[in-house]
Order: sequence, then structure tokens, then C-alpha cells
Amino acid sequence: MELFFMTITTGVMVGGIYALIALGWVLIYKCSGVLNLAMGELTLIGAYVSLAFYSMGVPFIPALLLSLAVGFILGILTERIFLDKLIGEPVLTVIMVTVGLSFFFKGIVELIWSTDTRVFEPPVFPLEPFRFGPIVVGQVYLWSFVAAIILLVIFVCFFKYTRWGLAMQATADDEMAALSIGISARFVYAAAWAIAFMAAGVGGTLLGNINGLNISVGYMGLLVLPAVVLGGLNSVPGAIVGGIAIGVMQNLCGAYLDQYFPGAVKEIAPFAFMAIFLLFKPYGLWGWERIERV
Amino acid sequence: MATTFLPCGVYHENYKQDQAWWQTKFIKSKMFLLFISLFFIIPWISDTYWLSIANLIGYTVLGALGVQLLIGFCGQVTLGHAAFLAVGAYVSTLLVLEFPWPALLVEWGLAYPLSILISAIAAGFWCVLFGLPSARVKGFYLILTTMAAQFITVDFVITQYVSQIGGRGQAFSLPPGTIKVGPWVIDSDIKVYYMMIVLVILCVVGLVNLLRSRVGRAWVAIRDNDISAEVMGINIIKYKLLAFFVAGFIGGIAGAVWISNLAAISPEHFPWFLSLWLVGVVLIGGAGSIHGTIFGSIFMVVVMELLQMAVIPLADTYPKLLVDFLFIKESAFGLAICVFLIFEPNGLAYRWWQAKNYFNLWPFSY
Repeated sequence: MELFFMTITTGVMVGGIYALIALGWVLIYKCSGVLNLAMGELTLIGAYVSLAFYSMGVPFIPALLLSLAVGFILGILTERIFLDKLIGEPVLTVIMVTVGLSFFFKGIVELIWSTDTRVFEPPVFPLEPFRFGPIVVGQVYLWSFVAAIILLVIFVCFFKYTRWGLAMQATADDEMAALSIGISARFVYAAAWAIAFMAAGVGGTLLGNINGLNISVGYMGLLVLPAVVLGGLNSVPGAIVGGIAIGVMQNLCGAYLDQYFPGAVKEIAPFAFMAIFLLFKPYGLWGWERIERV
Repeated sequence: MATTFLPCGVYHENYKQDQAWWQTKFIKSKMFLLFISLFFIIPWISDTYWLSIANLIGYTVLGALGVQLLIGFCGQVTLGHAAFLAVGAYVSTLLVLEFPWPALLVEWGLAYPLSILISAIAAGFWCVLFGLPSARVKGFYLILTTMAAQFITVDFVITQYVSQIGGRGQAFSLPPGTIKVGPWVIDSDIKVYYMMIVLVILCVVGLVNLLRSRVGRAWVAIRDNDISAEVMGINIIKYKLLAFFVAGFIGGIAGAVWISNLAAISPEHFPWFLSLWLVGVVLIGGAGSIHGTIFGSIFMVVVMELLQMAVIPLADTYPKLLVDFLFIKESAFGLAICVFLIFEPNGLAYRWWQAKNYFNLWPFSY
């Protein structure tokens, strides 16, 4: 039973990070309709940038903020150079451009930082774990979760209360109406990519703190896909719930199924789950169901 | 892709001419020249290095044909085709190594050809299994399912379970002499080349003819608008699954042939990168065109080889480049996909079609 609760707790903590990355994904999809398969590489870039700042001697929080700034610039550049020209193209074209981007980014990251595992040195979070009664949680997980939740709250507030956030919501809701009241759609697309880059960067940094940073963190970023499918592609609460659910499920599978299917069950389980889930409820828990007409 | 115009002054007088595959004498002689050069001139003039590149091109064509069928002709996007290549390769290897073939078949060299056929059918059914969600979902959701196919098949089933058969650990090595087709032992690039070229021609001819038939027209109808296709009385689930079967079948052939070129196969030969590479080949060549598959394969393989050739002389001054070549290749591939999709969305086949029409209509482009 203790194992069960500990697995769940760790799952929720990691799931918080997934939720943060998934939020960035959902944002891009809601605002510009781009189904982004490069999310894993966005997490990689953010993580490596903040690691680079951190190992140059910048303290952790400023390093994170600097990587946010870099992510903001990169996001706008990516949108302007690649995605801006594709407005109105078929969905497959846009998806494949994001696949191309993912290879491009991955190659660049590997060129600059090579493929060895790197760690945040000295460790950012203290090593001794927290204890809540019988449940033991590493401090890394706890603080990552706290940071992820704080950022989630900031992002949600941004959408609800600021002028820019409202403009983005309006565009997501009805692009034509938003254009007619003077919102610049191009600005909103660029902002969506910038925010996605920033969210993914923070998520990647936190993931890199847990297990060390290498290319497989990019794979963790790919886990947002099961998360957003579970929650529904265009639902922000869905992304949060989906991220946490995928984190919990992954850890439960790792704890209980590993003895029956030795090996990589922890990595495969979310995707297997996604394939089965798509058969029964393709629009997710809170996604909009599309009714198609000829 | 629109049809090619006939040259000036050539008219069809009956349906037979209209339906013919090679419609003019010029095309016939062109195809004849192509066969001559494929079977005699290319093996004659190229050394081992270029032959191995030709084999790589053949493998890419075979792998990408299935992707082309699914993406370009049936509208079902797949990002996990390497899984079906892997199934083909592994089934064929296991059959060759482990199956108790009757001595007669082995002597006649029929074991490997039979294993190619069986592995192609196995890969076809495996592909249908992951195509089943296409009955309910499409577009992005189907992409996610095929991605799941890649991870489940290669990273889980093959790495964890299939690789353990026979206690060989990670890689299955093929002892020299096991791959035998008829009286010939496939042990050199030139033999692989001939086997590859025969299979590529068979697959291309088979697929093109399939696309001219009722089945192919049903696929194209589903691609263009699946709801109207259903209204017209096409059983879309049946035809979608058939498309998945044929795509997996060709993928299985590709995988099974490729083992003759490898000393050992392991799951690392079929990464997710290969799946995306095949899709990239199709998109760069032009979706919805068999020509495009072949042009795309030639283009991508040759460009990557040229890139490598450019890197090797530079490696004397910058030794790090040699180590990093894989990463350069990866980002060059990504950038190539982006650039082609943004600036040349119809692919290389479209330019080919334009050039052909220009010369056909010259001097009177009415």
C-alpha cells in the first residue's frame, strides 16, 4: 500500500511537469491550429539553454528566467521563419513541417551539446527527501511540482485577465471575429509559439533536474501527446488533468507491470494506452467533437 | 497529379489505346532504355560503393512505396512505417534461421524467397492491426496511432521479446551463405542489386496497376473525400484496411530484402527516424505520385551521400565533424523537409510533370 501511495505521489509530481508542457502544446493548437510534433525538442532546447546558463555560474532562478527569454525569442523566430508561411496549407503539410523542425532542432542540440548525459552541478535542489508520514518524496520532485503549478497558475491568469491573453482566447474561439475587432492573428500565433517554447523550456529544465539531461528528455516531451489526447486537444484543463493522469499511469505501470513485462513498459505504456483510448474516445475527455459534412 | 498531355498530333482512336500503359512509341523506347540501363549499364559502370548506394535507393523506394500508397493515394498518414519494415525483416530472419525447412527447399534456394513472401504477409497483417483505428479516427489521431505502432512494435515487442528468441541477445547475425535465392548465394552488392531491382520493378508495376483498377480508384476517392466516397457506395473501412495491408506487404518485402545486405539485424536498424525519413522521402518526391517516390528516394540518398563526401575532406581540419556527421545529417534532413514543404509543396514529381508536358507540347503549347 505504501508503494502504491508513493507511486501515485511521484506520478502526480512528474505529471505536473507534463501538464506544463502539454499546456504549451494545447495553446499552439488552440490559437493557430498547428498540431506540433516538435514539442519534445522544444523541451530539449529550453533545458539545455538553462543548463548552459547555470553551468556558467548564473544562479538557478535567473538562469531559468534567461532561458525563458531565449525561448521567447526562439519561439517568435520559429513562427516567423517556418510556420507563418504555412497558414492555410493542409494539416499534413503543417504537421510534417513540425516534424522537420523537430529533426532540425534535435540535430542542432546534439551538435552543440553532444549526446552525453549532463547534470546540474552543483545540484539545484537538496538531495535528502521529504517525509509525509510513511510517504517519501524526493525534494526535486516536490519543488518541480511546485514550480510547475506556479507557472500553470501564472499562465492561466495570463489568459484570463490580461489583454494579450484575452486576444489569444478570442482568436482561438473564432479567428474571423477576432480579426474583425482588430486583433492581429499573426501576433497571436507568434505569442502562442513563444509561450509554448517558454513552458516547454521550464518543463525540460525541471525534467533535467530529476534524471540528468540528455536526448531522452526530448522523448519525455513527446509524452505530451498521450496527455493531450486524453484531455482533449483543445482544452486547457484537459491538458492539465491529462498530464497528471499520464504521469500517474506511467509510474503505476512502472511499479506494477514491470515484473510481468520486463523492460521498457514505463516508456511504452502511455503510447499503448493512447492507441487504445483513441479507439473508444477519439476526442478526449473535454475536446470538441467535430461534426463533418461533405 | 494531372495527366500528362500527349505530344502534338498524336490521337487515340479506341479505348484500348486510351487504357494502354505505355501510350506512344517514344515512351516504349524510353522504358526499354531504362530497363537496359537498370539491368546492364548501371551494374557495369558502377563500382561497389555506387552499387551499395543503388541498393540503399532501392530499399528506400520499397519502403517509401507503402508510405506513398497510404499518404499519397489513400490519405491515411502514417508515421510508423519502420515498424512494418522491422516486422518483415525479423520474420524473414527468424524463418531463415530457425524454421526447419525441408532439405529440398534449402537446396533449391527457395527458403529465403518463401520467407520473403511469408514475412510480407505477416507485415501486412501487422499493419492492418494498427490500421484498425482508421475505421474510427482520421488525420492527427491516426498519426498518433501509427506513432504508437512504431514504439510498441520496435521498442517493446521486438527489443524485449523477439530479440530473445534463440538466446542471441540483441542482434541476429546471419551467417554467410544462409541467404540463398535459387542457385545464387546472395553475398555481394551486385547480387543484392539484381534481387533488389527485380523486386522494386515487381512492386512498382504491381502497385501502379493496382492503382489503375477499381481498388485504386476507391483509394483515391477516400483520399479526396471519405464521406462522399462512402455515399458513393465504397466500403471505406474495407478499402482503408486493404490499403494498410498492401502498404505493410510492400514494407515487409523491403525489410526482408534488406537483411540480405546486412550482416546482422537489430532493433536499431528500424528507429523512428526511419519512419519519418520515409515520409520525408514521399513528401520531397511529391505525394500522390509513384514517380515522386523514386525521385524522392534518389534525391535524399544521393544528397546525404554528397553531404558525407563533403564532410570527409573537411574532417582532416575539423576532426569533430566526422563524429557529428549523424547530427548534421539529421538537421539537414529536417531542414530539407521544411524547405520543400514551404517552397515546393508539390515535390519533385511536379517539376518532372511540368518538364514532360513542356516537351510534349513543344512547339505549340496550346
